[in-house]
Amino acid sequence: MLAGRVQPGAAGCCRRLLAAALAAGLRPLLCGLPPCWTTARRAAGQWPSPGLRVPEAAEAERLVQQVQRAGVPLRRFIACPKLARTVQRCLQGGAGPGPQPVLLECAPGPGVLTRTLLNAGVRVVALESNSVFLPNLQSLENSLDGQLKVIYGDFFRLDPLVTGMVKPPAVCSDKLFETMGVAAVPWRADVPVKIFGILPQKKERNTLWRLLFALYECSSIYRYGRVEFNIFISEKEYKVLTAKPGEVRAYQALTVLWQVGCEIQLLHMEPWSSFVTNLKNGGLAVPKSTWLPNDHLCLVRLTPQQNLFTGGLEPTNSSTFIFMVKQCLAKPRSRLTDRLNSWSLDNGGKLLRELEIPKNAETRHLYPEDYRRLFEALQNSNMFTETWFHDEVLESIRNINL
Amino acid sequence: MSLLRLRAALLGPARLRGGGIPWSVLRNYSASAKEKARGNAVCERTELLEVLKARVKQLQASNVPEVTVNKVELAPLRNDKYQVPLRNVVAPGPAEEQPAPVGRGESPARPGSWVEKLKKEMYIRQLKVERKLSVAASQLTLENQANAKPTRKTKAKSKAKKSLKNPKAKAAAAWSQSHAGSHSVYAHGKPRVAAVKEGTKAQRPQRVLEDKDSSQYKILQQTIQSNLECFLFLQQPEEAEKFLLLYHSSPVKRRLLNVNAYNIVMRSWARKGRLQRINRLFSMLESVGLRPNLDSYAAALECMGRNQSSTKAIRRCVQQLKNDGFHVDELFQKCLFEEDEKEQVLRAIRIVQPNYQLPPPPKPETCKSSLLQDFYCKEKMVSYPKLDFSVQELQERFQQQLEMELDNTITIKSVESTKPLTPQAIKARKLLATLRSRWHDSILQALQKSKHSMSKFKTVSGYNILYPYLCLLPDEEYVGIMLQILNTLSPQGESLAVLARELGSKVYNRYITQRKLRSRQLEKVQEVYKDYIHLLAKDSQPDEYLPREYWEKLVAEAGFGPSLNLKDCSWPYMLLMRLGMHMLELLVQAVKVPRNILNPRLEPKLIPVLYHIYSFRSSWQVGLIKPHPIFSQIVSDAAETMLTFNSSAIPMLCPPVPWTSPHFGAFVLNDTKLMRFVDGAFQHQLLLEQCPPVNLHPVLDALNQLGNCAWKINQPVLDIIISIFNDKGNEKLDIPPPVSEAPRPPTAPSNSTTWNKSQKHELLLCKKRMAEMHSLRMDALYKLSIANYVRDKVFWFPHNMDFRGRTYPCPPYFNHLGNDVTRAILLFAEGRPLGPKGLDWLKIHLINLTGLKKKNALQERLEYANEIIEEILDSADHPLTGRKWWMNTDEPWQALACCMEIAKALRSPDPAAYISHFPVHQDGSCNGLQHYAALGRDLIGAVSVNLMPCHVPQDVYSAVAQQVEEFRKKDAEQGVKIAQVLQGFVSRKVVKQTVMTVVYGVTRYGGRLQMEKRLKEIDEFPEEYLWEASHYLVKQVFNGIKEMFSATRDIQSWLTESAKLIAQSGRTVEWVTPLGLPIVQPYYRSRPTVLNCSMQTLSVKNSNSNQKPDTVKQKNAFPPNFIHSLDSTHMMLTALHCLRQGLTFVSVHDCYWTHALTVDVMNQICRQQFVALHSEKILQDLSEFMLEKYCSPGRETRALWQKRLMEQLSNVPKTGDFNLKKVMDSTYFFS
Repeated sequence: MLAGRVQPGAAGCCRRLLAAALAAGLRPLLCGLPPCWTTARRAAGQWPSPGLRVPEAAEAERLVQQVQRAGVPLRRFIACPKLARTVQRCLQGGAGPGPQPVLLECAPGPGVLTRTLLNAGVRVVALESNSVFLPNLQSLENSLDGQLKVIYGDFFRLDPLVTGMVKPPAVCSDKLFETMGVAAVPWRADVPVKIFGILPQKKERNTLWRLLFALYECSSIYRYGRVEFNIFISEKEYKVLTAKPGEVRAYQALTVLWQVGCEIQLLHMEPWSSFVTNLKNGGLAVPKSTWLPNDHLCLVRLTPQQNLFTGGLEPTNSSTFIFMVKQCLAKPRSRLTDRLNSWSLDNGGKLLRELEIPKNAETRHLYPEDYRRLFEALQNSNMFTETWFHDEVLESIRNINL
Repeated sequence: MSLLRLRAALLGPARLRGGGIPWSVLRNYSASAKEKARGNAVCERTELLEVLKARVKQLQASNVPEVTVNKVELAPLRNDKYQVPLRNVVAPGPAEEQPAPVGRGESPARPGSWVEKLKKEMYIRQLKVERKLSVAASQLTLENQANAKPTRKTKAKSKAKKSLKNPKAKAAAAWSQSHAGSHSVYAHGKPRVAAVKEGTKAQRPQRVLEDKDSSQYKILQQTIQSNLECFLFLQQPEEAEKFLLLYHSSPVKRRLLNVNAYNIVMRSWARKGRLQRINRLFSMLESVGLRPNLDSYAAALECMGRNQSSTKAIRRCVQQLKNDGFHVDELFQKCLFEEDEKEQVLRAIRIVQPNYQLPPPPKPETCKSSLLQDFYCKEKMVSYPKLDFSVQELQERFQQQLEMELDNTITIKSVESTKPLTPQAIKARKLLATLRSRWHDSILQALQKSKHSMSKFKTVSGYNILYPYLCLLPDEEYVGIMLQILNTLSPQGESLAVLARELGSKVYNRYITQRKLRSRQLEKVQEVYKDYIHLLAKDSQPDEYLPREYWEKLVAEAGFGPSLNLKDCSWPYMLLMRLGMHMLELLVQAVKVPRNILNPRLEPKLIPVLYHIYSFRSSWQVGLIKPHPIFSQIVSDAAETMLTFNSSAIPMLCPPVPWTSPHFGAFVLNDTKLMRFVDGAFQHQLLLEQCPPVNLHPVLDALNQLGNCAWKINQPVLDIIISIFNDKGNEKLDIPPPVSEAPRPPTAPSNSTTWNKSQKHELLLCKKRMAEMHSLRMDALYKLSIANYVRDKVFWFPHNMDFRGRTYPCPPYFNHLGNDVTRAILLFAEGRPLGPKGLDWLKIHLINLTGLKKKNALQERLEYANEIIEEILDSADHPLTGRKWWMNTDEPWQALACCMEIAKALRSPDPAAYISHFPVHQDGSCNGLQHYAALGRDLIGAVSVNLMPCHVPQDVYSAVAQQVEEFRKKDAEQGVKIAQVLQGFVSRKVVKQTVMTVVYGVTRYGGRLQMEKRLKEIDEFPEEYLWEASHYLVKQVFNGIKEMFSATRDIQSWLTESAKLIAQSGRTVEWVTPLGLPIVQPYYRSRPTVLNCSMQTLSVKNSNSNQKPDTVKQKNAFPPNFIHSLDSTHMMLTALHCLRQGLTFVSVHDCYWTHALTVDVMNQICRQQFVALHSEKILQDLSEFMLEKYCSPGRETRALWQKRLMEQLSNVPKTGDFNLKKVMDSTYFFS
């Protein structure tokens, strides 16, 4: 009986459903909530398992084949039920007994993971950008009592930086959260939302930077509190995120900033071959890397630090911190004192002594925490008030953030 | 235009002052000459922005495979790149004894694929070397055992030995040593040597092929030679030889040496008269299987002449020269002698042949091009037009020019100097002066310190590649160059790469000047120039020569031969950058300022004036050098009014030296290339050198003709412009206001960290605007100041050309290619009466400048001018106080100048006799399409671009707009939404830019962006449809053009497809213009080379002849480049024939200028030449040339691509049935 609903939507009904989805997506949830969803919210905690049939891998792959069109960017999908279960367990792992936050699944595609999560009693919001998958997901949504919400949109085109109207599938974070029915919570409160996604291969680095800026500015998704981010990323980027000081290639500005900003947990490693791509030849599109074994995608959990904005760091001055770290690690072999001096920040030597940083330390040898302490010390001694440093910060933000 | 202006602004002004002239502008295919002119000084920056620092991690981030980074270490001696792989091949044992290699990312833990590949290659190569050495060694051990004394080991050898772990290598090394020592020049022909030589030769070709594939081969070779040249210049033969030996004695590195390298060392010994050393070098040459060439013998003979060697020795040398297949006469015909080299060689020759006479100079050849038969026909030869100067006057002007160039830079008063000086400024200037003298001292100190440590370092291990380059000039000069850079740095800062290149090329230019002085080249030029001006001066005999011919004749008569040319001594681009980086590092280290200088409350502490930071652009990081705000503040307070320019930025004060070869012409001393090129690209220069000189004559003559036009300043107009400039500027009149007029940022709260986003955004916008205004202001300041400097003088613009033959004046800021403002202040120095129709032409020209009556016939324009004559006179008499009619025109300043000219002519007693200096322009109407339409004989196309006679001018843009509107209507009726939305928005203005650039190869993508911009300018257009509408429009414009210019599109796609196939077969697209100019498209897949400097690593793009062509660029750029080569040919033909008719003629690409008197004649010549040009079988000739070049039967014809290419090239598109002769009667063809 379920298989009947899951059949890939015909073109005609697709358009109709799409319109319906759009309408649903834009419906202001907070003021006119459908009753089932409200009760669900009140109930919080675990949902009873709806006992959905999870499609077999081959079935899901057939669905994925429909997006093998030219011009559709490369995407990776979870098609194998076993992998889906693993991911589900990882996502629920370590959860306390209290009410669970809603889980936003980015680009669910054939919905294998979605169903697995629903069966495990998780409340899911599915954000899908490809209209091929939408009818399927929407019929699922309709069959359930508010445990699933389907929204048309692309998480990796969240809050586009260009001015003008936001055209779907690009989405605005405030619209998205409004639709999800999630309100902002204070920074130190618990995780308001969990997000799961597979970073698009070509935009990996870019997305990580964008998220980082959002995190430090408390903007975009982080406006709503410490959103927990669970993502599949390549080993290369994982290695960068978790690099230790002194590691020649891996220790980068991105490393420092993520480690200061978030608790980084490796949840799982899965071989490339477990994922399905929308490539015509069914290829795995493993990015080249001569640097690592590069056999896996890593499921990483990024939980923002509760104490990120204590001490001197604030959302308003964090861009200076980012700028400082980037400048320092642009040439990782340079000495920290040279950097400080070249910015003509006064008394660099004294400052380093106070922080117990050796005089001849190279920038790549500093721990992320050291950078934070350095920044706080500089901030407290008002050294950043030198005008030129500010101009540069502004300019660099423009360059990176646009 | 606004795009370019914006770009100019963003780029900052400092770059506008670059010593180098922005050649890369030539790659910009915008059609409008004016746009080009504006962008002229600017576009190079975009190229340079690409010279970025590449870090491996970032390459990875953007998924670029590591292999693309071509790691060349330019200082191969200190850090032998061959050693790393070698060591990897052998067992680790001996390698450990040596100092650890400087790791550049290839950590042994994870060898990248390319490292492995390289390893493999090196291993194979190594095997070959070993095999060869063992052969040579076994031969030698038999005959030459006694000589093999392995006592003197150079470092390189011992390394080779260690790594080879092969006893034979030892013998071989010893052999080459002993061999070199024991043989003399005359050993040639002994059987033993010959045998070894053969053995070496057998191995050589294979190896050379391998080498040529590696892109660093050429660079390294060039580096070695320029290094040796330095030692020659410094007169340090010992150092030169030591350097040569470093390479010579290593079997691996020896491959980089060619005979020229040995020759340079020989020449430096010859200058000292050390024959023994030269003999030794000869035997070294032989030992590696190289043959001495003419220059080698010239050096030997020079030395013998200097020594007064014995007759016997000289005779033997001459004999050997002959044995090698050379002739004594060739020495004097082909060698480029410097200083007294020639005299010494002659002296030596005359010792053995007392009656030896110099060979007669070669007979001047005449160009055979059918297009120029009349022009070069001796019977119809007329005398060259005279200038209004006496020989004496011209000689004085030459002296002035020479002095200016000898100084390298010139400091002139800026036009702002008339402003009163504030006390604040006086104070700031004083402060700056003390700081500068302090900086001067500290830079000097830093320089000397670094030189000292380099020279010490040299003795310890290997060699410092930069050291000799820091000795070429007196220390003071280096300091001067660095201070100059500091003075011109804009407050926004500048990219490291740009500054490094500027510093490097400044040193290079001064070195060239010094060489020209030292080699006595200047003396010779002076001597010839003295006679040359007789051709131009009014008080000397008329001569029936062209400037080039006359110059060549004088050179031949003086017996200078080719020695007027300097030996090629260009520095590799990488070296230039490395030198520049070193100087920049010194500058950043040395220049400091007390931080409390403006704010005494702060603690006194020296802080650097320049700081180095990174700017991040997507995945790139760009190193920038920025001045500290304190410094910028002092500089802006001081408001200094002196400007320092390179002497080549000022127009010449005497007629330029005529172009006689690709190396010689234009300025007296400043190094100028006949063909401008992008950094590092030398393909054009090679092609020009290979081309028979006679083929270049028409092009050279045309350039000389353009350069010989004398100019003067329109002083009343200049004064008005300066008064507005010094007041508050006027944006509407294109006089940029000073930065003080810029919008102020919102009043800042005390702590800017607490700003919110919109405040930050606003501040950013303000800063951006300020930067823009600053650069526009500086650009105008430079132009006006130069104009002001030459206001009472007569001056000349020497010309050169881009790789397609389009001509440009060399001085970069102020020239007739400039904007409306600069054009308005230029007048012909020569005056001509207006004649019967001249006044009418002036009036028509005025109306053309207003842009008001574009669609009307000439007669109507004239009538309109007469109607509004009151307005014209009012504008002329009261430009700033009257009714200001001139201000509301397209080109206000030129219009004003024209109003004044008309007023003067009208008020003169006889307007026809009024002597006018005013240039009148005739513009081609969409010149690119004109050439296409003529090529394809497209009837409809020809009508719409005015090749057909018509009563009123046709407007192709309106025609296309109409066509598009028709398409739109149809679509709208069929319910296409976007077509309905666009109702009422399709206009000439919207389509104009795209139509104009379609000819120049704009793609749909670029076209859409243009459309979007135009639509954005229309306020009523709904924003949400921008993308869709522009997409739709560009499609329709392309369709419309296809409909109207059917053959044009065929030709365009034929050209594109041919270029694609040629590039895919691995070769670059080349062709020859109907005038015989060879053209090659300089687009290669460039591989960035990483330059390791202590401040930061730079990734430098360098092109190389061994590189693969960039298929996309080769393909897309071929049609526009080909059309440009045709329009430049048309211009040159017109220029040459105008010369024969005695006309003054200059051009701004497709806009031709002459006196009002001669407009009619010029128009006729212009049409004649267009018809003549297109009567040639241009496309057939192109097809034949390419078939010959790319598909000649000698090549592997079986290949599939070969067949396809042949088919493609043979299949010349069919043409329509337009009768070309009609152009002759078309009034609006050029109007």
